[in-house]
Amino acid sequence: MKEIVRGAAVILLVSAILLFINAELNDGGGSAGKDSITVYNWGEYIDPDLLKQFEKETGIRVIYETFDSNEGMMGKIEQGGTSYDISMPSEYMIEMMQEADLLLPLDYNKIPNVKNIDPYFLDLPFDPGNKYSLPYFWGTLGIAFNPTLLDGQTFESWDNLWDPSLKQQVILVDSARETIGMGLNSLGYSLNSTNLDELREATDKLKTLSPNVKAVIGDEVTQLMINGEAAISLTWSGQAADMMYENEDIDYIVPEEGSNLWFDNMVIPRTSTNIEGAHAFINFMLDAEVAAQNADYVGYSTPNLTALDLMDPEVTEDERFYPDEETRGHLEVYRNLGLEMLGQYNELFLEFKMDMK
Amino acid sequence: MEKLSKLPKIYLVAVFIILYAPIFYLIFYSFNSGGGMSNFESFTLEHYAAVFEDTRLIVIVINTVIVALLSALVSTAIGVLGALAIVFMRNKAMRNAVLSLNNILIVSPDVIIGASFLILFTMIGVKLGFASVLISHIAFSIPIVVIMVLPKLQEMSPTLIDAALDLGASKRDVLTRVIIPFIKPGILAGFFLALTYSLDDFAVTFFVTGNGFSTLSVEIYSMARAGITLTINALSGLIFLVTVVLVIGYYAISRKTKAPLSGVRK
Repeated sequence: MKEIVRGAAVILLVSAILLFINAELNDGGGSAGKDSITVYNWGEYIDPDLLKQFEKETGIRVIYETFDSNEGMMGKIEQGGTSYDISMPSEYMIEMMQEADLLLPLDYNKIPNVKNIDPYFLDLPFDPGNKYSLPYFWGTLGIAFNPTLLDGQTFESWDNLWDPSLKQQVILVDSARETIGMGLNSLGYSLNSTNLDELREATDKLKTLSPNVKAVIGDEVTQLMINGEAAISLTWSGQAADMMYENEDIDYIVPEEGSNLWFDNMVIPRTSTNIEGAHAFINFMLDAEVAAQNADYVGYSTPNLTALDLMDPEVTEDERFYPDEETRGHLEVYRNLGLEMLGQYNELFLEFKMDMK
Repeated sequence: MEKLSKLPKIYLVAVFIILYAPIFYLIFYSFNSGGGMSNFESFTLEHYAAVFEDTRLIVIVINTVIVALLSALVSTAIGVLGALAIVFMRNKAMRNAVLSLNNILIVSPDVIIGASFLILFTMIGVKLGFASVLISHIAFSIPIVVIMVLPKLQEMSPTLIDAALDLGASKRDVLTRVIIPFIKPGILAGFFLALTYSLDDFAVTFFVTGNGFSTLSVEIYSMARAGITLTINALSGLIFLVTVVLVIGYYAISRKTKAPLSGVRK
């Protein structure tokens, strides 16, 4: 019995010491103030040094937490019991969160740095007038390919994927909007088409792609491409940047017919308890130097115009990740089509998948 | 052991290789300077240095350990009392009913337990964070401790207690000097099992973390979008090492307490 009591005492002591160490580490930023904000971001999606810099400049402590999916993030906020001050949903999720009344409007008097953002990325249909959100990173959907595995073949358009020589080579994303969208784009239709005839036509066209499809998978594709086990994949630009960083043979294009333009955006959830601090954080992240450093660390495209001047021109002039005006004109942001239409897309996507051999 | 013929030996070795190969593969690449898990370039310790430089990651590791230690401790205390209550229950139907309720908690999926905790916490207004994670870990560990302690209690001869009472022991003495020393191996096993359950739990924790509090499994999961870096490999390697030390420690302790009755005289 004595030993058990002693053991329990030791465990309590160890826990107490660990708690103490933790408290010390948490205060490591040197800020004494109790002021803090909780930031809820995607994993590996910020330069940690910037968080320290923000703490130093403002005296506001940052509690940082990560999520892995828009839906999971929204669930945590909707359920309550949390008090996130900043979150980074993708564009379609902003519409959903706003409909669920989960967002606070931004006060632009407190965000003077909004002037740094490229006007092209402001006032978009998912958040007219940027009432609730400001862009954090953006990107496109396109084709990543490895020319060394394809006898040097390159791509310019979606239609290239239908090339009969590409038997069992193409990897698609297991997501209805992306795949059906690719079919729509290749026919010159809008990504947000709600015209059933167009959708039918796109699905029928996709079915003729079946012989070339190697697999329909999720994020695993990054590793397959890096290892050279797959040659062509439908990929988001951020993912493509990761692939190219690891494997120099890989190239990426945004097809000429048009494609999707996506955003991750900073918002202030309704559950925020430090609205002042949240605005300070958004303003800080939009600072030219900060945005440049962050874009350099994360490797995604920044919407911050002034940051581009501070970055390596080799990066900012890379048309694959910072497409020119003309390509941009073909890009479209996903609109929230409503549950019923989304059901249609899913149905057709399922039909396409079942049709594959 | 010498009597094992060749075939079973080969089988045994094969099974262990299959079980351990992925872990060693992971650890092997944690020394890779190449940055990925595909081709090994040259030996480096930079990923291990990165683990110790990332204070946020360290804080999360410490969080995970604190939750594991405290939840294992509390759930062991409650679980032992629960097991005692079950064994000394007079009404047999009642005893079986309680035991079944306990077992249902063990087999019910973590996802359901996690989701129901999330609903409970938000309903009664507990803020998600350290407390919510600790409470839920204690809760799902208790049935495990009960199951580990119960067989030891059933194995104990009731005459032992009668003898102690005859010799003038108070009820308290019976508990602390007869019963607890006898079931000590069970308590230890329960504690270590609860510890490992808490350390590696993902599903329940995923639901009840929030407000900046996170544990290792949840954190690694949310890193997946950007691809898992070799820092995680290095961290996994370190944790694997700690686990090995823990297991060895467990054997050292349990060997010392192997003769349960020797504790009675103390």
